[in-house]
Amino acid sequence: MRAAVFCAGCSLWFLASAAATAERTLAVTIYNGDLALVQDRRDIDVKDGRQRLEFPDVSAQIRPETVTLTATDIAIVEQNFDFDLLTPAKLMEKAVGQEVTIVRVNPATGVESREQAQVLATNGGVVLKIGQRIEVLRDDGLPVRVIFDKVPDNLRARPTLSVTVVGTHSGVRHATLSYLTPGLSWKADYVALFDEGSGKIDVQGWVTLSNSSGSSYENAQTLLVAGSPDEAGSDAGPGNYRPVRPRPTLQSPGTESGNRERLGDYYLYPLAERTTIANLQTKQVSFLDVHGVPAEHGYEFQNRWLATSDSALSVRSVYSFSSGAHAGLGDQLPAGILRFYMRDKRGDPQFIGESRIDHTPMGSTLSLATGDAFDVKVKPIVAKRKHISTFDWQTDVRYELSNALPRDVVVKVLQSGLWGDTRITAESQESGRRSADTAEWAVKVPANGTASLTASFESRY
Amino acid sequence: MAMSICAGSIACASAATAADIAAEPPVDVAVTVYRAPTRVHGSIDLNHLNGFALVSETRLVHLPAGESRLRFEGVADGIEAQSAIITGLPDGVMEKNRDAKVLSPAALLAAALAKPVELVRTNRKTGQTVRVPATILSDAGGGVVFRTAAGIEALRCSGLPESFSFEPGGNLSARPSLSALVRSRAALTQRITLSYLSRGFDWAADYSATLSADERSMDLGAWVTLANSNGTGFPSANTQVVAGRVNRENEAVEPFDLGDPILALCWPRGSTSDSPPSELRVAQDSASFSMKRTTMMMAAPAIAQLTATAQHKVVEEQLGDLKLYRVPERTTVAGRQSKQVRLLDRADIPVTTIYSAVVAANEQRTSFAAERLLRTINDAAHHLGLPLPSGSIAVFARHDGQPLLLHESTVRDLAVNEEVEMQLGLSTDVQVAITHENVGVTLPAVTREQVERVQISNARPVPIQIELRVALYDGAQVIRADHPLGSKNGQPMFRLEVPPEGSAALRYQLQYQNQTTIR
Repeated sequence: MRAAVFCAGCSLWFLASAAATAERTLAVTIYNGDLALVQDRRDIDVKDGRQRLEFPDVSAQIRPETVTLTATDIAIVEQNFDFDLLTPAKLMEKAVGQEVTIVRVNPATGVESREQAQVLATNGGVVLKIGQRIEVLRDDGLPVRVIFDKVPDNLRARPTLSVTVVGTHSGVRHATLSYLTPGLSWKADYVALFDEGSGKIDVQGWVTLSNSSGSSYENAQTLLVAGSPDEAGSDAGPGNYRPVRPRPTLQSPGTESGNRERLGDYYLYPLAERTTIANLQTKQVSFLDVHGVPAEHGYEFQNRWLATSDSALSVRSVYSFSSGAHAGLGDQLPAGILRFYMRDKRGDPQFIGESRIDHTPMGSTLSLATGDAFDVKVKPIVAKRKHISTFDWQTDVRYELSNALPRDVVVKVLQSGLWGDTRITAESQESGRRSADTAEWAVKVPANGTASLTASFESRY
Repeated sequence: MAMSICAGSIACASAATAADIAAEPPVDVAVTVYRAPTRVHGSIDLNHLNGFALVSETRLVHLPAGESRLRFEGVADGIEAQSAIITGLPDGVMEKNRDAKVLSPAALLAAALAKPVELVRTNRKTGQTVRVPATILSDAGGGVVFRTAAGIEALRCSGLPESFSFEPGGNLSARPSLSALVRSRAALTQRITLSYLSRGFDWAADYSATLSADERSMDLGAWVTLANSNGTGFPSANTQVVAGRVNRENEAVEPFDLGDPILALCWPRGSTSDSPPSELRVAQDSASFSMKRTTMMMAAPAIAQLTATAQHKVVEEQLGDLKLYRVPERTTVAGRQSKQVRLLDRADIPVTTIYSAVVAANEQRTSFAAERLLRTINDAAHHLGLPLPSGSIAVFARHDGQPLLLHESTVRDLAVNEEVEMQLGLSTDVQVAITHENVGVTLPAVTREQVERVQISNARPVPIQIELRVALYDGAQVIRADHPLGSKNGQPMFRLEVPPEGSAALRYQLQYQNQTTIR
């Protein structure tokens, strides 16, 4: 409370903030899309009658239109958010027409001489009236101190929220100030260690919350909501731009409920203990730690319609696992990034790629691409294009698969772009249809060997 | 955090309950460098190292019983804090924090807002200093307003030398800091591992091939060139590089608040003798300086010619679907440094020189130079048969015993048994000309037939092999030709031999229906 004692002579706004007594509890609810609800419970000292309460220690990015102050036995007259900031230029501007003290310092002797001056104008330079003479402040470059008597009422160091209330009686009472603020957001970060020998993964999940709101939240009870109620703003924010997703990660959505807390259709992740969310801080708290979940490793290659290549292209390396209670992670997975690691020959974990996941219900099957395989490649070749009648085309595609690994692999070859009634008239092995426009073959490629897949398509144009 | 404005709250005190412990500097470091995920071929650019690294540090920590805030100093500047993993603590980690608020003049001012500070004024004549108690009222908008017993003033608007002297306190560090809140049942000393991903690294393979005098074989050598643009160095580190593309999600790094400088902006200070400002010249000077520095930075690491025979080479191992190359001995990955370690050396690799040209069915061209390339296979029979990571390649030829540069190009990731092609640029000695000899239309199906003549001339004293790849209209077919028709990658191709100082001609006929798309 040293600040309050020192500021005994300060202007009203320091007094007002110091008047709020020490009891204060913060509750912060953070949503995914750069939005948080702050509930600030504190005891305030309200006098009888009309008065202005100031709250200087709210989020610097507060959305003032969302502020609600609730307390017993007060009536709210108005809420104000003042953002006229105290700068030397403003100070001088507001002093136009008023008296200031100027102190001239003799550069040779250091002797000070004081005079009263009236500020006439501040346009480009400061024009002063001293006695009956007009001067431009520091026109000769010599030192002149300007001393003001007081800070104008509306100027502050920080934007400040104030509420004008009428108290029915004086005394300390509980109050809750709640508001929405951007600048706080969270996501999940997962660490998955894949063991090639047993085909199992260990997964740790961390919630990562970050605060760039310009303020710190001391000792706050923190709740994270997996969801973004801010429909309008959620996709527009910087960093939220996501180009077209190249491949779906969710293979089958789950249907298990689990026992996480819910709010409507959102899942809630409360932090176990109160924590301080400092400004410009990224904080991570663990929420998931499972071991030995079976995971499958496979290869996938997707070819666009009529795509042909002079060089062999690496196939995608794909890992799939379940988020279900049985042989899975057994939890809902909030959206975030899953980073895969694998141990090298010395036993040190090495990073092998990452993939973004969306909010994933429990019981889902996820299939995540971590990168490309160095040794497993496919060269797609359009071997023949033939006009068979006015609108019908025959297209022969050959997929040359190669495997430089010392073990057999199976590559899922996907041919997309089979629009309309495109038919496969001949193929070297049977295909499945993932959808009307995508055919799928599982091609076995022997160790250190090659394989070839051919298909003949008939399409209309 | 004690540095925040916390007038009248208890939070300042409660945050200090956790003991502040700094982990010891790393006793062991491992750095694994990954390439820029978007680069398929080519070398690195020291100005834009878009790859990243996995850094694992082994550190010793001394923890008291109870709660402590364990700080890690000296981590890479480009750390992606959300990827940090701490292992080895028996009771686990309650939370991990990364604070981007760093100590700066602006942070000092902001923290001192509404708190007692000392204003220090120095007499220019006598050197005497006067210290006056003051309170900072505002640091908004780059100006500083303060109060002393005399009244309210603005910093450095008087022309007098004046500054603030702050009280010690606050725990801001010089760099963004990584810390973990840990709880320990008993006091302990423990070896822990901190690993994290960090930006500002990259690597590529830089190959140099030297052709033999008869151009039938070459020697191939390569360096792993890795670079670190972080200010942080990693002394005596176990160093690895990983080849193969790994998926990265495009994530913004957390903001890093350097703080604005204290400008001490004042009220308007125009005078009756205002003259045009002279800043313009200064700005131009600094611009040209920064350009100079950029060009210096762009100078790629020189392709070192291989002279030494016994080189320390990196050791390859399989990491899932990736290739990991281990630098055989510990090395220092210093801050803002690029480093080269030998990747491979292979001698007497049989190569064939091929000339190549694309002849498009829709264009007539008088005469253009064919491309020259070297071709070999990445297998044991060709003295290769090892994964070749992507990068750049410089091909040299011997002239009077001196290797001279022929051409520079790029290499993509090549697995074992893949065909390897190295470009040698255009050859003006081998010229190709294309002429439409005849175009005929058959109605009613609008079937077009076209006769093409391709003339190849060779000014070299040796016979050459040329591959002419035919770019056809969609659905078009070569129906007749005076040379055997082959194909490569689904594209029709003719292979011709042209005698030394001679020429050859190819005529072919193609047929198509009236379509305009070219495949």
